[in-house]
Amino acid sequence: MIPGPFSYRRAASIEEAIALLQQYGGEAKVLSGGQSLIPMMKFRLAEPAVIVDINRVPGLDAIEERNGILAIGGLVREVALERSPLIRQRYPIIADTAEVIADPLVRNLATIGGNLAHGDPANDHPATMLALRAEVVARGPGGERTIPIDDFFVDTFTTALGPDEILTEIRVPAPPPRSGGAYVKFERKVGDYAVAAAAVFLVLDEAGKIAGAGIGLTNVYYKPLRAAEAENALLGQVPSGELFRAAAELAAKAADPTTDLRGPAEYKRAVARTMTFRALEAALSRAQAAS
Amino acid sequence: MEATTMLIGRSIPRMDSPQKVRGQTRYTDDLHVPGMLHARLVTAPYAHARILGVETSQAVSLPGVVAVITGRDLFPEGPEPAERARHMLARDKVIYYGQPVAVVVAETAEAAADAVEAVRIDYEPLPAVVDPVAAMRPDAPVIRPKELEGEWAEAGMHATVAGGEELDVARLPANITNAARFRRGDVERGFAEADVVIERTYRTPFVHQSYLEPHAALAVPDPTGGLTIYTCTQGQFYARNVTASTLGLHPEQVTLVPMEVGGGFGGKTVLLEPLAGALALRTGRPVKLALTRMEEFLLATPAPGAVIELKTGARKDGTITAIKARVIFDSGAYPGAPVNIALLLLGGYYRCENLDLEGYEVLTNKPGVGAYRAPGAPQATFAIEQQVDEMARALGWDPLEFRLRNASETGDPQPNGVPWPQIGLRTVLERMREHPIWRNRSSDPNEGYGVAIGGWPGGVEPCAANVRLNIDGTLSVTLGSVDITGTNTVMAMIAAEVLSQPVERIRVVTAPSNLAPYAGMSGGSKVTYTMGLAVQAAAEDARRQLLEIASAELEAAPEDLELVDGAVRVRGVPDRSITLERIAGISMTFGGKYAPVYGSGRAVITQQSPGFNGQIAHVRVDPDTGEVELLELVAIQDVGRALNPALVTGQVQGGAAQGVGWALHEGMIYDDNGQPLNPTLMDYDLPKATHLPPIQVELVELLSEVGPFGAKGVGEPPVIPTAAAIANAIADAAGVRLTELPMTPARVLEALRQRT
Ligand SMILES: Cc1cc2nc3c(=O)[nH]c(=O)nc-3n(C[C@H](O)[C@H](O)[C@H](O)COP(=O)(O)OP(=O)(O)OC[C@H]3O[C@@H](n4cnc5c(N)ncnc54)[C@H](O)[C@@H]3O)c2cc1C
Repeated sequence: MIPGPFSYRRAASIEEAIALLQQYGGEAKVLSGGQSLIPMMKFRLAEPAVIVDINRVPGLDAIEERNGILAIGGLVREVALERSPLIRQRYPIIADTAEVIADPLVRNLATIGGNLAHGDPANDHPATMLALRAEVVARGPGGERTIPIDDFFVDTFTTALGPDEILTEIRVPAPPPRSGGAYVKFERKVGDYAVAAAAVFLVLDEAGKIAGAGIGLTNVYYKPLRAAEAENALLGQVPSGELFRAAAELAAKAADPTTDLRGPAEYKRAVARTMTFRALEAALSRAQAAS
Repeated sequence: MEATTMLIGRSIPRMDSPQKVRGQTRYTDDLHVPGMLHARLVTAPYAHARILGVETSQAVSLPGVVAVITGRDLFPEGPEPAERARHMLARDKVIYYGQPVAVVVAETAEAAADAVEAVRIDYEPLPAVVDPVAAMRPDAPVIRPKELEGEWAEAGMHATVAGGEELDVARLPANITNAARFRRGDVERGFAEADVVIERTYRTPFVHQSYLEPHAALAVPDPTGGLTIYTCTQGQFYARNVTASTLGLHPEQVTLVPMEVGGGFGGKTVLLEPLAGALALRTGRPVKLALTRMEEFLLATPAPGAVIELKTGARKDGTITAIKARVIFDSGAYPGAPVNIALLLLGGYYRCENLDLEGYEVLTNKPGVGAYRAPGAPQATFAIEQQVDEMARALGWDPLEFRLRNASETGDPQPNGVPWPQIGLRTVLERMREHPIWRNRSSDPNEGYGVAIGGWPGGVEPCAANVRLNIDGTLSVTLGSVDITGTNTVMAMIAAEVLSQPVERIRVVTAPSNLAPYAGMSGGSKVTYTMGLAVQAAAEDARRQLLEIASAELEAAPEDLELVDGAVRVRGVPDRSITLERIAGISMTFGGKYAPVYGSGRAVITQQSPGFNGQIAHVRVDPDTGEVELLELVAIQDVGRALNPALVTGQVQGGAAQGVGWALHEGMIYDDNGQPLNPTLMDYDLPKATHLPPIQVELVELLSEVGPFGAKGVGEPPVIPTAAAIANAIADAAGVRLTELPMTPARVLEALRQRT
């Protein structure tokens, strides 16, 4: 597998990277972990003329809490998310997600920025970020802007990022008391993209009722899907198996999977239902443990 | 046969492991020779299409490109060859998606890859036939006119099969290339007598051998018009013969150098060697051709798919009264699917008075199939072993007792009337019955247990080997069999045993085809079984010569001498001895008075020693996702004598692991136009470590009367019963019968949905 010819530019700073992207217009592609881009180039499904490598750009690899948010740099690798004590203790849903992406070899290189910027509905972080109501920070020639996650995923492999914009940071609201989230994925085999997966984030009030709910689904829609109706059905309710089954049913209804190698559409819908139900249960027990 | 042995029966590590673990082993694709060119294939984007034109001028003009060769260059006239390896490139029409149509030869692999995109080929698509049942219809698109059909012998190299009625294939529709029928008694009467009759259709897909190392061949032309070909074949003489005759050379003009095989499982026989050879002859330079993983899926030789219609009956007293089967093997675009052997196993595991077994080999627009570990057996066994299980349950019989009630024994007729040679099926079943996992099976919800058996007749082929004394007192075994399973380690053990030497003193050399004594393909579980005898005989010959020289030097009768570590000595007189190094010195020197020690051994066995394997699977079925979790897997096999139990156990575990792939994961998927949908390891699902429980192996040792030290072939049986055992466990857990492989979560969930 040999990619077509291309030229390679390594950016030393974010400004340089943006300038290079501007210079080459639509011909250039950002290279971060390379775990989606390079396979596509080797299959000659993507033949960018120029690669702009941002791996040496400083300051994009921090994981930190500040002013009530968790900020994850665009170049943070999956392995770092998986191992970060901050993520494991305070944001276990993100650790759940990172852990089930691909295999260790891929996770050593793949970045969360690339995972979101690729716009692939099969990727795992988008659903989790939808459930968490994250924000994406983008830098371009005109400076920095913040994009709510709900506006970020535009179409299959298309995001709100402009061709000369770089995703620099993901911001997640810090978890309120009595909250918890979980990501549950069903895959054909270890390391595969999801047949279907669900991210659930729940916030309970003092009485134990559901005060906030986020549900994101992976690989069952033309883009990452937030199951808004299912979320609404949970609000103000006392958690129960019956409630969760009803919400999972609504989530499955919102899904519109296509029949492919991962199974017939109806099967994927059934798996989405089961994954949502299991993620609801797991999120609830984390939320209850947090109170 | 010695009653006590020094080395035989001991688990010693494979002699080739250290180099492999350190990454030092050199494979074909690691080779670089001066002036070497790189070849890259241009493959067809249709499964069936006429080639209207091939435009190569742009590609040839690209930097670094040396030549672009087309089918017309290789076969200017006459019919296109009808065998996979001889049909190096398509000329007039393509008959499967991914078929090589042209090949670019360039100075670098990169230049070749870029030039491939510049070759323009005009196609006129033709209707493709993908489903083997549809391909049998008289009005189906024809792959190749019958009179141009070739022959293919590889399946026959894995098992020797005789008998049966010849059906007149010439009168059947064009895509049917082979048909066979085995009959006994009267099946209709058998069904009338039965208390339960079950009828089902089973389907299995193309399964790829998925060795780690893709095919590769390096052909180097020599000044006399001949070729040296370095390649990862499992059978050097076969590959040499096919290559030479394809290229119009005498066999001895082609020297085949068998390289390390990075996994073969039957799939590495002959494929790229003729084409690489043709390119080397045309360019006058060494040419390397190596496949990518995707090309492996597109154009190598996977196991055939099967459709098996099976009707069986049994009485309350546990007697199987009738087996009627129609077995259709999907051979892809070239003939060669092992339908006869499938019929023999289907109707041969159990005694049954009434049989009617019919089999067809059918062409479709898919890649031509090849051998895969026990060719034809996993398919046939998936069908018969589920159905036997279902009959047992329907009649209230314990599935193992029912099998024991009907199991074939030594001397019982196979469907072709030939009596089974010595077989250990009954003993294997008894050991399964005693196994703690079977005896203590629990009844947790959604969990279940299943059993199945599988047998393999085994192959035979004449072969020879020699053993020579080296100047340092070590000994070298030279042979022509390719080591794909650790056989060279076992050959060293056999020689060491006969010569009473530590195994470290023995080297085993796989010599190239111009030097090696004859050996057949490493297939049919026959290398140890047959080559072991040749090495044993060669070592005995060398031993006799050693004793002869020692006898003269020590002035003692040969009967009074014994071989010990590195020396020959007079029995009971330890200080009267001569080292092997000294014997070497005096027999390999100017003016020496002894002939060098050079033992040779030949072997020909005509009797097979079939191997049986029985497996117990314990599964949990997730009722919400359809996922089948394999919790435990037991494999019990009659191996004759385990010459090296660790290697034998490894073979059984590896085979069972592949069986898990057949059962739950693997299968090549084609759309209605014959385009493969999962030709990558991302989408073609091989089992991973996390899918496999520890595979518990038990070896049963019913000695073969003919194999070396009682050994039987062991490589093929363990893959055979796994899919059926898991299917039976699923039925036990969830009450549903899965009749199509692989048993994916989606299929299981669908079956569960239909049950309720
Ligand atoms: C075998 C395998 C299995 C996989 N399985 C999974 C899985 O199960 N789940 C999953 O979620 N993913 C999976 N992936 C994908 C993996 O997580 C990718 O790495 C990820 O989708 C992209 O991240 P990356 O850093 O490698 O991006 P790259 O491949 O470098 O880039 C991907 C795309 O995003 C753009 N891009 C990257 N970074 C930025 C940025 N900061 N700003 C703007 N644009 C950017 C690139 O230009 C490119 O178009 C798998 C990959 C492989 C090879």
